[in-house]
Amino acid sequence: MKRDPNATLIKVRSLTKHFPVRLGAYGQHKATVYALDDVSFNIFRGETLGLVGESGCGKTTVGLSILQLHRPSRGEVWYEEIDLTKLKEADLRPLRQKLQIVFQDPYSTLNPRMTVGAAIAEPMSVHRRCEKQQIQERVERLMDDTGLPMRYGNRYPHEFSGGQRQRICIARALACDPEFIVCDEPVSALDVSIQAQISNLLKDLQEKYNLTYLFIAHDLAVVKYISSRIAVMYLGKLAELAPRDMLFEHPLHPYTQALLSAVPVPNPKEERSRQQALLEGDVPSSISPPKGCRFHPRCPLAFEPCSDAVPDWREVDNNHWIACHAVK
Amino acid sequence: MSSSPQAFNEVLPEGLEGHEPTSLWRDAFDRLKANKLAVFGFIIVVVLLLVAILGPFITPYDFLSQDLSQRNQSSSAAHLLGTDDLGRDVLSRVIYGARTATIVAFSVTAVSLLIGVSLGAIAGYSGGRVDSAIVWIIDLTMSIPILLLAVVINVSLKTPVTYWMDDMYLKTHNPIYRETIWVDFALVFGALALIMWPPYARLIRGQILSIRNENYVLAARALGFSNRRILFRHILPNGLGPVIVLASAGLGQAMILESAFSFLGIGVRPPIPSWGNMISDGLRVWRNYPHLLAAPAVVLGIITVAFSFLGDGLNDALNPKGWR
Repeated sequence: MKRDPNATLIKVRSLTKHFPVRLGAYGQHKATVYALDDVSFNIFRGETLGLVGESGCGKTTVGLSILQLHRPSRGEVWYEEIDLTKLKEADLRPLRQKLQIVFQDPYSTLNPRMTVGAAIAEPMSVHRRCEKQQIQERVERLMDDTGLPMRYGNRYPHEFSGGQRQRICIARALACDPEFIVCDEPVSALDVSIQAQISNLLKDLQEKYNLTYLFIAHDLAVVKYISSRIAVMYLGKLAELAPRDMLFEHPLHPYTQALLSAVPVPNPKEERSRQQALLEGDVPSSISPPKGCRFHPRCPLAFEPCSDAVPDWREVDNNHWIACHAVK
Repeated sequence: MSSSPQAFNEVLPEGLEGHEPTSLWRDAFDRLKANKLAVFGFIIVVVLLLVAILGPFITPYDFLSQDLSQRNQSSSAAHLLGTDDLGRDVLSRVIYGARTATIVAFSVTAVSLLIGVSLGAIAGYSGGRVDSAIVWIIDLTMSIPILLLAVVINVSLKTPVTYWMDDMYLKTHNPIYRETIWVDFALVFGALALIMWPPYARLIRGQILSIRNENYVLAARALGFSNRRILFRHILPNGLGPVIVLASAGLGQAMILESAFSFLGIGVRPPIPSWGNMISDGLRVWRNYPHLLAAPAVVLGIITVAFSFLGDGLNDALNPKGWR
């Protein structure tokens, strides 16, 4: 079966996730956290879609909702011809092999009582990916691919450093031959020197195994390095989505512009003289997000419709999506 | 491919090379070995188990054989711990008492562990109504006073069951129905097992409630593992540490309870030797024959302390950071 290399692998439509919470000392007030509201985008086969935004804006919720680790409140997630949101957990299990995740914190995502080799082998034996005799061989190949010396297969996670554990997590995710991996801030818990290693490793593996990534991060430099397209999130909604270079050179959304201008330039002279679009105020609570455009209370371009009407998510240019009233 | 394997070698932790791989259990065992009191407790407990298992082979005399010409003797070469008022060898009876105590302690703890861990695991993992129902049963069971229950069973159930067994023996002549002593035994300590499980259930429920929010459980779900595998391979092994500690304390507690019940005459009944009924007998004559009281009491004391040391050692070893 031949596949169109640029075909859509994951289609997200109106994805919404609301968490009911109880507030107050005795949980007497009911409230809703609007973590994710009406988010739609496509992920193409073989690409890396970067997803950036501030802490708490719902980036991780997007990743977990796509994988149905959080059941979305509304919306659809299509993986090829299957709507994942309609499947029961038991029917999802075999599909989970194809849709994997690498978490942010490599310290807590490995079972402390399982050796590294056993952790990497477990998905293969559970999903019967190969004959028993081949498992050891495949574990060794995966460890080699992820830069783990094979003799460490019988060691336990607590004996490794953060970067090494992240390699173990990546090897474990690869063990069931996934097509799509959600990388949920895979490098932000690591030292800067290790971040580069892991980013490079992810890039190499993508080429080798034809992987598609949703790369979630808050570090723009990392996202710029690894992504082919980048989506910007603000308070549970997508603000802008564009191919990497287009986004960095011609950001349209005022929030994207502010975000990009907040990145320091590694040149003191330029840094002192450059114009910064600083935002006023704080991010509102996702329990009571502003009406209309969620960004309008802080937006320098805000005008009349912004406080009432939610801006449409529209394609302004080829592959350049934006949700803003002010941008024509 | 990039140079990532080389890059890895640059960040190898010092000293990992040439070290034996250490599992968390192995680490815990090493910590336990370093704790002198815990090792002392462990040795005493092992000796107790050996004595209990080997009982019939190492007792110098039969625990029932009476020698009325040798009554109330103090320690001698023939009777190391002397003899009691019926001329029975006290050492043999203490050894058989260890057997009684061990049988009771292990069966009570095993049954309560089985009930407690299963119910607690179900409650913690399913949550919702199942959880509320099980927690309700736990609370209900915990409200029953152990001693009162034993007394009530002793006065209400023992007699009818004994009569029933006598009837059955007359009808069937099956020798099994002559063993009324063992039925007493099973009744009281069976009841004990049925109300000693709540601490285990509460503990394992709490462990599971916290562990199921761990990221490695989310990772296991993301890998498409079944609920059963997640519970048995990923959650339970990580939550068993405190249960082991509690069970070791529970063994000691069950031994003390056995002695206490037997002392009060509602547990093991003579002629089966138990430290409890030996202490009770010894108490009546301790002014004249103190060894009859001292022998079982000292042994019971040592065993209690040993279990306590072992439990503390296990607690420190299995949880170096402390969960209390």
